[in-house]
Amino acid sequence: MKFIRTILLQTNRNLQKTWPTQFMTLLTVSLSVLIFSFFFLIYMNMIKAGEKLKDDLRLTIYLEEEPVQEMQMQLVRKITNFSPVDEIRFTSREEAFRSLAAQLGENVDVLDDLDPSFLPPSIEVYPKKNLNTLTQIQRFSEYLATLPGAIKVQYGQEWVERFNYFTKLLRIIVFLSGFLLIMTTTFMVAYTIRLAVVARQAELEILRLLGATNSYIRTPFLIEGFLQGLLGSSLGLLALFFLYSWIQLRFTGPGILQLIDFTFFSPGIIGMIITASILLCTGGGFSSLRRFMRI
Amino acid sequence: MGTKTGNKSIIEIYKATKIYPPDVVAIEDISLSIPYGEMLFVTGMSGAGKTTLLKLICGMEHTDKGLVEVAGKDMSHIKDKEIPKLRQQIGMAYQDFKLLPDRTVAQNIAMAMEVSYQNIKAIRTRITALLQKLRLEHKHDTLAGKLSRGEQQRVAIARSIANSPALILADEPTGNLDSKTTRLVMDLFKLCNTAGATVVIATHDEAIYKNSTYRVLELHGGRILEQAEKSIPTPNLMP
Repeated sequence: MKFIRTILLQTNRNLQKTWPTQFMTLLTVSLSVLIFSFFFLIYMNMIKAGEKLKDDLRLTIYLEEEPVQEMQMQLVRKITNFSPVDEIRFTSREEAFRSLAAQLGENVDVLDDLDPSFLPPSIEVYPKKNLNTLTQIQRFSEYLATLPGAIKVQYGQEWVERFNYFTKLLRIIVFLSGFLLIMTTTFMVAYTIRLAVVARQAELEILRLLGATNSYIRTPFLIEGFLQGLLGSSLGLLALFFLYSWIQLRFTGPGILQLIDFTFFSPGIIGMIITASILLCTGGGFSSLRRFMRI
Repeated sequence: MGTKTGNKSIIEIYKATKIYPPDVVAIEDISLSIPYGEMLFVTGMSGAGKTTLLKLICGMEHTDKGLVEVAGKDMSHIKDKEIPKLRQQIGMAYQDFKLLPDRTVAQNIAMAMEVSYQNIKAIRTRITALLQKLRLEHKHDTLAGKLSRGEQQRVAIARSIANSPALILADEPTGNLDSKTTRLVMDLFKLCNTAGATVVIATHDEAIYKNSTYRVLELHGGRILEQAEKSIPTPNLMP
């Protein structure tokens, strides 16, 4: 108890003496956390949107001729042998025409002069959620294209591929900003503590002569690192939350945010970011003390 | 450390030699034994080796040859972990004071007690008592950098005895003091000695040991010139 009280007293004194430097470090840590968590938040939501898209994935096989009952059974067998599916739905030329007419609504008269059998019959395949990568989807699509009577297979290739590349790009940005966060935070905190150590060399020398233990000298610096990590990451996340709330408010209505159901970090992720920042800041402080204090 | 243990010595020095680079011999072949509870004066001209001797005892310097033992610990081979505990039991009043100019008098004195995690109330009481004894009570909240040299010296002395150490080392403790304040300071050291502390005072101020019965050790060119062996006296305290 006496140890804790004395150390807190010492920490308080240090913070009062070095608050301008501490404040600048705090801002740097906050900014680093803000940059990282901003990209991480987008990445996470993209992943979530990807999951949702995967749930809605549907491959349509357009056929030359309408398959007879026996052929339909054969096609189902061939499809399910390749990959498990949730549902396989056959659409005849007539059904396709009716469906198009229903979609046209008031403009249905544009179909008046057309032959009701001009649309090709098709098979809609709803795969199970085991197709995790774009390559797997592509392979399944290629297989479906080889089925007897198949003309074309569609699953929104362009959209899925673009989404996939965008997610990959985001992943790189998240890794880079994560690396930036680690480097900036560690160096800034280590540098601040190094400055504090140099500025207080005389005091530390006297403390050593008076019999201060290593933990008496080191602990206040480590607490400073801990506080930098805790407050810096909390401020960064708070800033991100305000940004997120503003975006939610500003861009309400139909749009991309509604499409991907944009959400903020869960308490678990928030806890992980704060813990990682604390560990980085305390670690940076500790390494600085080992290098410059020689105690 | 901390109590008198019969005839055992708190400080044992055997053929100690200290040479500063390139070849300045500060201490040469000194052997000395200081029992628990003794008050000893180390005298000599400037450069005689008084400060080096105190630095060897408190572990600020290490011998090049020979042995310095404090409370049974070889100061050249003491484990890093043991140093803080030992230093908490040694109160040293430095010739250059080693005060923090941007801290108050009270904060400077408190440092010695804070490192051994003493409670705040005890620290405050002790500081008040010491400042009263040294007639510095009105300087309690003054920054050390704003004090005169004499006042700074008294603060350094107060800090050296604040933690009630078993061994007090004072390097020229009266160098900047008038005769009246010198008596105050010496009375304080004698009081600590009566309470059981071993006191070693390095000085060239003959007046403070001239008529006393304490042992006086004279250094010259890093060697012991004269040792006046006397028994530990009854303290001669001021009324």
